[in-house]
Amino acid sequence: MKSLFVEGNSAMHRLSARAKLLALAALGVLLFLSANLLLLALAVLATATIYFSIGLPARSALARLKPIFLTILVVALFSLAFNPWHVAVVALLRLTALMLFAAAVTATTTIAQFIDEITLLARPLERLGLLRADDVGLAVGLVVRFVPEILGRYQAIREAHAARGIKVRPTTVLVPLIILTLRDADNIAAAIDARGVRRHVNLRTR
Amino acid sequence: MDIRFEGAGVSYGARVVLAPVTLQLTEKRVGIIGLNGSGKTTFARLINGLTKPSVGRVIVNGRDTADAKAILTDVGFIFQSPQNQIILPVVRDDIAFGLKSRGYKPAEITTKVEAVLQRFSAAHLADRRAHELSGGELQLAALCSVLATGPDILILDEPTNQLDLKNRCLVQRLVEGLPENAIVISHDLELVADYERVLVFHEGNLVADAPATEAIRRYKEIASR
Amino acid sequence: MSTRDLVLSALFAAIIVALGILPPITLGFIPVPITAQSLGVMMAGVVHGARRGTIAVLIVLVLVAIGLPVLSGGRGGLAAFAAPTTGFLIGWVFAAFVTGYLSERLVKSEQSALVQTVGFFLAAMIGGIVVLYAFGIVYLAVAAQLGLAKAFLGSMAFIPGDVVKAFVAALVGRAVMVGYPLLPVRS
Repeated sequence: MKSLFVEGNSAMHRLSARAKLLALAALGVLLFLSANLLLLALAVLATATIYFSIGLPARSALARLKPIFLTILVVALFSLAFNPWHVAVVALLRLTALMLFAAAVTATTTIAQFIDEITLLARPLERLGLLRADDVGLAVGLVVRFVPEILGRYQAIREAHAARGIKVRPTTVLVPLIILTLRDADNIAAAIDARGVRRHVNLRTR
Repeated sequence: MDIRFEGAGVSYGARVVLAPVTLQLTEKRVGIIGLNGSGKTTFARLINGLTKPSVGRVIVNGRDTADAKAILTDVGFIFQSPQNQIILPVVRDDIAFGLKSRGYKPAEITTKVEAVLQRFSAAHLADRRAHELSGGELQLAALCSVLATGPDILILDEPTNQLDLKNRCLVQRLVEGLPENAIVISHDLELVADYERVLVFHEGNLVADAPATEAIRRYKEIASR
Repeated sequence: MSTRDLVLSALFAAIIVALGILPPITLGFIPVPITAQSLGVMMAGVVHGARRGTIAVLIVLVLVAIGLPVLSGGRGGLAAFAAPTTGFLIGWVFAAFVTGYLSERLVKSEQSALVQTVGFFLAAMIGGIVVLYAFGIVYLAVAAQLGLAKAFLGSMAFIPGDVVKAFVAALVGRAVMVGYPLLPVRS
């Protein structure tokens, strides 16, 4: 699974993850506080400039935004049918500016940096006993590790269906997919515990 | 190595999975054989504390397994299923992860990762994605991950069970050459054929404890009943 | 959280991600293909119950936030949270929680297959539709300035499809419970 991070040396790349996330949050608040069309249009221009200056070729830069922008557009058009036109445009501009800056943050921050930030945010929760901060990185790793196995398993189940002349249906495919995948959990958990990776966990007998 | 079982047994409610065992393991190579459900895996899991005894206790190098955290640094465990042991997408990250959770600094981690890869001539696997590796390559990667933290006892639970012949030979050679103490559970009798000590389990009981030839003979007797 | 819980949740998160990558599956009696990812969220609740189901969905959202294109269509990154439909995304967490919570309490092993399936169906409907749409519609109304009534109107078109998904989730949930029960039992 390819991440959305893009190598580069732009100003955004050099900013710390924390600074970018705080800026994004601040931007979100500011955008929603203002209903001034001119200001919002300028915001879109500014965020677009930032987004297109991080080093992504224009085609892929646009491709990434397409599905999200489409939703924003459709909703704005829907709004146009019922609301005064400038209400719809305000919404369109706000969300577009937010989308552009958010996409710029994603493209200039590595997964490792994000995980470090989330782990730091999670530490106070650790003291409340709700979770272990390091589990975030482990959980992400586990998912990325096993998604290909699950996709492979799906193919195997489909082939077995074809061999038996059964049509692929949700119950006949999803049920074995889920059961076979979850059955591995005990073995994976045992391997994790045996390596002492989650050191502060109480090992149970079963 | 000094592993002592002092009347250690495991039951789940009324079901006795492993009858109490008392013995001491000090040999460099110990084999464990028995039919499925004989209690051999339970026995092995008592050694690294994955399973706690319902009666008695297990002392490994002077430490009681009831104190879980202490054991895991001394004892490594390799499981049957190759793909469930590599838990991160890229092999190198998986090896590093075990070291990171032990608190090693990044520079030390890199050194240790390189060292263990060199040791098993596995450098070519380092940047591969686990999903693309064969069973044998995965077991090799698992060995690197587990041994990177330097345990001096290694338990291998049917390490060749899911491997083809070529990979079986590979793992067999690797295990033979390990300087660490190795306790090997195996259906593949060839793997333990020249071990100085082999334990035979049957229906939860330890029925033989002898050098390989004698133990295997006894096992075949039981299996053919 | 035990290691087993963590691994179960992560594996189900991986299933939800896989469902976003796999092509839609057709249900026999309806010629429309089911896009599976939101089905995955309902299934998280019926298979795992409230706690693990919610954690599984949270893990998926973390994956989106850190820049992995795991949402169906290859969407991902923080920009995905800028869409006006973000309420539905955040609502996933609460949907899984409610579906799981209700599944744990409505479904018992002594019940007949039919009663169990109905129980799961109710849980999936209330969690996966009522709760989810509440979050989705409110966010749509506020963030896109649509107003509650219009947001509600616009979302109605998607409900029939989600009712079908709730039905599939119920069937799957029941079958998984029979084959490999993971649902915590609470009265």
